Amino acid sequence: MKFNRTKLTLFSVAFVMLSACKPKENVKEYSAGDLNLSNFVAIGGTTTSGFMDDALYLEGQENSLGAILAQQFELVGGGTFHQPWVSTSSVGVNSDNLARLILDYKTDCLNVTSLSPVRKAINGDATIFSESLYDASKPFGNYGIPGFYMAYAFSPAYSSQNNFFKRMASSTSATVLGDALNTTPSFFSLYVGLDEVMKYAKSGGKNESLLTASQFHALYTPILDQVTSASTQGIVSTLPDVTEMPYFTTIPYDGLNLDEANAASLNAIYNPIGLSFVVGKNAFVIEDPSAGTFGVRQMVPGEKILLSVPLDSVKCNKMGSVFPFRDEFILTTDEVNAIKSNTALYNDYIIAKAAEKNLAVVRTDQFYQSLTSGILYNGISLNTKFVSGGAYSLDGVNLNPRGNALLANEFIKAINAKYKSNIPTVDATLFRGIIFP
Amino acid sequence: MHKLLLLGTVFLVTNSLFSQGFQVNFQGQKQQGMGGAGNALPLDAASVFFNPGSVAFLKENSVNIAFTPTFANTLFEDANTTSIGRTNSPMGTPFSAYAVYRKNENSKFFYGLGIYTPFGSTIQYEDGWTGRFALTKLQLKSIFFQPTISYKLNDKIGFGAGFVYSTGNVNLQKDIPVQDANGTYGHAELNGKASGFGFNVGLFVQATEKLNLGVSYRSQVNMAVAEGTATFTVPSSLATNFPNGTFSSALPLPQVATLGLAYKLNEKWAFALDVNYVGWKAYDTLSFDYAQNTTSLVDTKSARNYKNTFAFRFGTNYSISTNWDARIGLAYGITPVQSGYVTPETPDANRVNYTAGLGYKMGEHFQLDASIFFTHLKRTDTNLETNLSGTFTTNVIAPGLAIIYKF
Repeated sequence: MKFNRTKLTLFSVAFVMLSACKPKENVKEYSAGDLNLSNFVAIGGTTTSGFMDDALYLEGQENSLGAILAQQFELVGGGTFHQPWVSTSSVGVNSDNLARLILDYKTDCLNVTSLSPVRKAINGDATIFSESLYDASKPFGNYGIPGFYMAYAFSPAYSSQNNFFKRMASSTSATVLGDALNTTPSFFSLYVGLDEVMKYAKSGGKNESLLTASQFHALYTPILDQVTSASTQGIVSTLPDVTEMPYFTTIPYDGLNLDEANAASLNAIYNPIGLSFVVGKNAFVIEDPSAGTFGVRQMVPGEKILLSVPLDSVKCNKMGSVFPFRDEFILTTDEVNAIKSNTALYNDYIIAKAAEKNLAVVRTDQFYQSLTSGILYNGISLNTKFVSGGAYSLDGVNLNPRGNALLANEFIKAINAKYKSNIPTVDATLFRGIIFP
Repeated sequence: MHKLLLLGTVFLVTNSLFSQGFQVNFQGQKQQGMGGAGNALPLDAASVFFNPGSVAFLKENSVNIAFTPTFANTLFEDANTTSIGRTNSPMGTPFSAYAVYRKNENSKFFYGLGIYTPFGSTIQYEDGWTGRFALTKLQLKSIFFQPTISYKLNDKIGFGAGFVYSTGNVNLQKDIPVQDANGTYGHAELNGKASGFGFNVGLFVQATEKLNLGVSYRSQVNMAVAEGTATFTVPSSLATNFPNGTFSSALPLPQVATLGLAYKLNEKWAFALDVNYVGWKAYDTLSFDYAQNTTSLVDTKSARNYKNTFAFRFGTNYSISTNWDARIGLAYGITPVQSGYVTPETPDANRVNYTAGLGYKMGEHFQLDASIFFTHLKRTDTNLETNLSGTFTTNVIAPGLAIIYKF
C-alpha cells in the first residue's frame, strides 16, 4: 500500500479535530440506597395492571406502572418483571368483552364525520380468559388486576369472579394477596381503592355507594398489614380525584346550544315547572328525584356529564333537553362533593398508614391535580383534555403510556426521597401519547 | 476543481457557538490568532470589519480571503433521566473576504469591501433526542456585505464608515408531539429568507508611536423574514390542524460597540486588547406569526430575554523573523442567555476562548495566515418554556486559513 504523506497528515489532523471536539459523558452513579429491589411486586387494580384504552392489551401491559418502575429498578439491581402477558395480536378485552379503543373516524347522526374513540374490533379478545399463565418459576411482578376491589383481597374464590385474575391465579382457590405475597417480594407498591371510587363515579352514583372513610380503613388496614408482613419496604399511593378526569369533564354542563325555535319549544315544555331557556348556551336538563315535584332540573356549574352518555341521542333525539339525562349519566353536585371529600379522607388515611409502617408514599392525587392545571414536559404540554391532553388513554380515566411514565416518575421521586436511593426517572418522551390515524 | 466546488457549496453555512449567542467572531485570521482582538491594530484588510477607521492606516492595497472550518459538538445530559442527546451538526464554514484600495500612497482615502458572516448557526441534534419538541435543527445563515470608506484625517487620526447589507436564511425544525400509527412524530419545518441593513463605523487614533486607540460601532441589523414557508408533516387526520403555509418572523442581530487598545512594545512584540459591548438585549422574543392559524397552530412568542453583555479579547503578535509571525490570544465572553432561557438552539455559557496563530510572508505579494481556536462550554439549566432540564456541554475547535494578496 502506498501512503500519501500529505493525505495521512490531513486525515490525522481531521481526526484529532473531531475527536477532541466530542464532549465526554459524565458517569452518573445510580444507587438503590437502603432498598432491596431484587423482587418487586406491584399490587393494585385497573391502573396498576396496564389497562388502558378501556381494555387490557399487550402495549398497555408493556407500559404499565409496574413495568416502567421495574425498568428503572433494573438500573439499580432490580430483577425481571413478569406480567400475565396478552398476546401481541390481541385486540384486548375488558370485563364487558369489548376490544380496546383506538382513535378513528366516526360518522354521527348528523352525518358529520370526525375523530372519535372506536373499538378496534367488534368483540374483545375473550380467548385470553381461558389462558392459564401461572408459572411458579416465573412469578408475576404485576399483581395489578383490572376491576380489583379491596374487599376481595383475601377471597379464595376470586378467580371465579374476576377473569383477569383467573388467568394468572396459581389455583382456583388462590387469593390475590396470597399469590402476590407468595412471590416473597423485597419491595412492593400498593395502589388500591381507586376501582371502588371509579365504580361509583362511572355509574353516575346510581345504585352504588362510596366507601365511607371507616369502611375504607377497615378494608385497607388488613391488606397493608398483610403486605408489610411479607415485605417491609414499599410504596403506597394516594388516590386521584376522579371527577377531574376527562371521562367526567369533556361534555360541559352548559353544552346545550339552542336556536330560537328550539329555545321556544323547550320554554313551552318547561316554563310551567320553572325552567327557562335562552338562545345560545344552556345547562342540560337532568333527572333529579330531589328536585321539586317533577324531579327534573337544569344542571349547575361543577356537575358532570359522563362520557358514557349516548352522544347521538343528545345531538339528534333531544336527550338532555326534552328528555332529561338519566341519573346514571350524571354526577350531581352532591355526588361530586362526596367523591372529592371521601377521596381526601382515604388519602389522609393512606398517608397516615404509610408513616406508621415507615413506607414511602406517592402523592398520586397531587400528580393528577397538576395534570388538571397542565404539565409541561420537555416541550410537550399535557393536561386533562380528552384526546388532545396527551396523558390519558382513550377511555378518559386510565393514563396512556406517557401518562404512566410521568406517574411512574412520581413514584420514583417518592422512593428516592424515602429510601435515600438514586434511581433515575424515565424519559417520558420515549413513551407514546395518543395515536392519530 | 472538485475541492473548489465543495467549498462553494459549504461556504454559505456558518456555525454559531463561537461567541456569545449566535455571534461568530471569525472575521480575520490574524485577529483570530490573537483572541479576536484587533480594533486598534490595523494589521490587514480585515480591519474593514474590526475598525473601519483604522483602514486608512493600512500600508498596502490588498485582498484577503479566509476560511475557518469549524467543528462543534454539543452533548445534552438530562438532569433527571439517563437520556443524552448529541449533535451531529455539519462542519461550520464561516468565511470572510476583504479588499482595500487607495489610489496612491499619498491618498487620504481608502476604499474597502468586506463580505463576512458574523452571525450564524447550524446545530442539528441526533434523531429522537429528548429535546426534539424544542428543536431538532436550526440553520441560520447570514452574509454581510460592507462597502467602506476610511479617511485619514492626519498622521494620528482616521475614521471610517461602512454600509452593511445583510442577507440570509433561517431554517428551524422540530418535532410535534403527535404520533401516527407507526409512532412517528409530527415535524415542523420553518424556512425563510431574511435580509436587513445596518452600518459599521470606527475611529482610530495613533496616540503615540507605541500606543493606538480605537472605537468602533456596528449597528443592530434586523433580519426580517417576511414570507417564510411553514411545512408540517403530521398524521393525516391532523393535516387541517397544521396547514402548510407562510409565516413571518424577525431576528435581531445585535449592535456591538468596541473599545480597542494596541501597544507595540518593540519591533518584535505587539499587544492588542478589545472590549466588546454587545446589545443582545434586543433579542427578547422569538416570534412566529403564521398566516393561517388553527386551534393547534397558534402564533408563538417565545421569550428569549437576552441581556447585554461584554466580551474581553486579548492577544499578542510576535515577529519571529521578517517572514514569520506567531500569535496567541485569549478571550472571555459573558453569555447573554439568562438562567431559564437556555435553549437547544443556543446552549450558551460564559466561555474562555483559546487561540493561536501563525503568519508567513511568501515574497512581496503573498501572505498566509493560519489560526486555531478552541473553546469549551458547559451550562446547566431548566428552560422555562419547555421544562427541558439538563446540562449542555459543547466543544468547539476551529482551524482557519487566510490567503492575502498585496499590491
